[in-house]
Amino acid sequence: MINRMGWVVETVATVAKRGLGESEMVDCPAVAVVDDDESVRESLPDLLKELGFTARAFSSAEEFLVSGCIDQIRCLILDITMPGMTGLELESRLRLQGHLTPIIFITSRGNESARPKALEHGAVECLFKPFSDTALLAALNLALQRN
Amino acid sequence: MDLQEKDSAGEITRLQRCINDLISLLALPAVWSVNEPKQIVHTLLDALLRMLKLDFVFARWEDPVAKASLELLRVADSCKLKLPPQDIGGMLSNWLERDRDVSRPPAPNRFEAEGISIFPVRLDVHGEIGMIVVGSERADFPNLTESLLLSVAANEASIGLREAKLLSEQKRIADELDQRVEQRTRELAERNEELKREIVERELMAERLRQEESRLTQSELHKSAILNAALDCVVAMNHEGRITEFNPAAERTLGYLRADVLGQRLVDLIVPPSLRQKHREGFGRYLATGESHVLGRRLEMTALCSDGREIPVEIAITRIPQDGPPAFTGYLRDITERKRNEDALHLAHAQILRSEERWRSVFENSAVGVALTDLNGRFIAANPVYQKMLGYTEEELQHLSFLDITQEEFVEPSRTLVTELLEGKRQQYQIEKAYRRKDGKTVWVRNNVSLVPGTELAARFLMALSEDITEHKLSEEALANARSELSKVARITSLGVLTASIAHEINQPLSGIVTNASTCLRMLSGDPPNLEGARETARRTIRDGNRASDVVTRLRTLYGRKDILPEAMDLNEAAREVISLSLTELQRNRVVLRADLAHNLPLIDGDRIQLQQVILNLLRNASDAMSTVDNRPRELLIRTQRDDGNQVRLTMRDAGIGFAPETAANLFDAFYTTKNDGMGIGLSVSRSIVEAHRGRLWAAPNDGPGATFSFTVPCATTSVSGFQPGQ
Repeated sequence: MINRMGWVVETVATVAKRGLGESEMVDCPAVAVVDDDESVRESLPDLLKELGFTARAFSSAEEFLVSGCIDQIRCLILDITMPGMTGLELESRLRLQGHLTPIIFITSRGNESARPKALEHGAVECLFKPFSDTALLAALNLALQRN
Repeated sequence: MDLQEKDSAGEITRLQRCINDLISLLALPAVWSVNEPKQIVHTLLDALLRMLKLDFVFARWEDPVAKASLELLRVADSCKLKLPPQDIGGMLSNWLERDRDVSRPPAPNRFEAEGISIFPVRLDVHGEIGMIVVGSERADFPNLTESLLLSVAANEASIGLREAKLLSEQKRIADELDQRVEQRTRELAERNEELKREIVERELMAERLRQEESRLTQSELHKSAILNAALDCVVAMNHEGRITEFNPAAERTLGYLRADVLGQRLVDLIVPPSLRQKHREGFGRYLATGESHVLGRRLEMTALCSDGREIPVEIAITRIPQDGPPAFTGYLRDITERKRNEDALHLAHAQILRSEERWRSVFENSAVGVALTDLNGRFIAANPVYQKMLGYTEEELQHLSFLDITQEEFVEPSRTLVTELLEGKRQQYQIEKAYRRKDGKTVWVRNNVSLVPGTELAARFLMALSEDITEHKLSEEALANARSELSKVARITSLGVLTASIAHEINQPLSGIVTNASTCLRMLSGDPPNLEGARETARRTIRDGNRASDVVTRLRTLYGRKDILPEAMDLNEAAREVISLSLTELQRNRVVLRADLAHNLPLIDGDRIQLQQVILNLLRNASDAMSTVDNRPRELLIRTQRDDGNQVRLTMRDAGIGFAPETAANLFDAFYTTKNDGMGIGLSVSRSIVEAHRGRLWAAPNDGPGATFSFTVPCATTSVSGFQPGQ
């Protein structure tokens, strides 16, 4: 299982490194995390880095929108429930603007009904907090394949 | 003897011949036409020439027909005289001219030289009619027989000619008579014609006269009828100012009798003394100069009645178009009534004006908006405040109906209320509603609308007094929002109605813990291991663990019974506050709320906030239970009442999906829920709060759709000090 995971990680990391130059990785990471919860913003990018991705966290949909990173990133990890523009609204906005960036929704509302709704929106996966690193990797793998 | 016999026979033959000639001559008149003297002479001369074997015979006579002296000559073929007949005639004529005196014996024969004996014979005794001259070669001419024959012939001729003359004379006389008769007849005929014409003309004239007379009679009758029927007084006056006509209306109005006033001076009768001088001057001026200020004009003045009253009249005087001295007709109308009406009208008008002014002033200066609309809601008028409130001018409003500017959700209720107003089901109504201003903004108004009854002149209309309550509404909304916020916070932290929030609160730190732990593991398993990173993530794990613990502590607090602060409180008031907080949300969910709160409900001892949380919880549950109901009204009844056993009861009856009786036992268990997004805490917490107040909370399905939740709490004791809700 660990070997298998390692292979996946390796593959994903290779893809990430091949696709993005070092200089680009500073400002616009391969993966963007948008969540209003500070603990998520602190922990998730670290885990992503450990998994071999450059990552950056944004505290709101609005902050992400003005960062100009949307065209550069390869995957967006998006909290569904946020004050201001919600994750679902941001997703709709991006789709309307023609962006096809794969999106992984995350939510702390333990409600199964949110999942089909999120997938209906075209998300790669919808993960319920707390989620394991393997679940996250599987979702990322799916996302990059779609990419 | 023989000679004798011969002579005798000769004599007899002569005599016979003579007799034959005489008979021939005497028969001549039978062939004469008495009308033709020329023919008489002609035949006579022919007979004589042949009978007497003459050489010629000549006649001259006064022809009564030709009315001239005519001559005729017959010459025998055997005549020796070889002269043209004209010459013979001329000579005989001259001979006769020379010897006019025919009474004498004829003059010597001039033709003797020629061997012709001539012999004149008078046609009457004096030769007045004419002469015949006969000529013969014979020397013995005329013998006795011939003389006899000549004289007989002359007699016969003179008789014939005289008759002819007489006849001619008679004829002439007859002709003359005829002519005169004819002339006279013609004259008579002409006269007759003239007479006929004259008769016709006279008849025409007579007819015309009759017509004229009839017309005059008619006109007179007509005039009389008009005068009699006229509602106006008609008074006629001659150039002396004397009354010549005074109709019944004048008699009625002025009180004089026609018979009494005819011939009287008008000025002395119906002109008031104060105006008489002026009247006389004006009349005199008109007669002198033809200048008038009153003729042909309609004037108002005063007239004097027989009883001395002076009445206001309208008068029009015209000159009668006739030859001779001027005459006048005056038409008078008593305008007392009209004047009175006018005065009343002026008064009424002034009152209306004052009333209108007052109304206008109220309308214009009113601090609230005033709008008048027709029964379809179309604006008729709007005062300045109203115009300002809506941002439209009055003219713009007149193109709109109040429904046009009413916001959608208030259109139907407004329409219903107006209909009830028009049907007489209500006198007036009040409504708080939102209008769209011209600039698109919303303005909230409190409308007091009534139906103003119609009058003879004006149709019914609607009057709305509108108070701008936008600010009030906004602050109310802000207050509601604030309350709602508070209530939300309260609910989130205590009731857990929004259980997702609780899950969120717990899941957030849990997520941090799991992620950090995963990272930490990865950092440690690296080559070389990232110890610093691992330490950092481990610290964060601890921090998030504490956070989760805090959440659990807060949740526990929800069930804790330590915070109840009992006080004497009014359950009705608490319920009203909850209702007002929830109204917006209930409206959004189309819930029709009816509150039946008992009067004089005893106070209870309790924690106002906690009990309100219970009521709010029940209210939300009821609302949620009806969220899928579309086939019936979403009715919710809140009732408070005093219950047996010195308790107060609150009941919440909904028309929602209800619950199965077998599930009733589980309803109040923690984490039991029928909602998709519920956690099953609300009723459990509510029951614990109510029980902390020594009360009871229960549920029962309705007979019809829905369920009823009730709780009771004891009434306030005289001493509240002993009350320990937490125990």
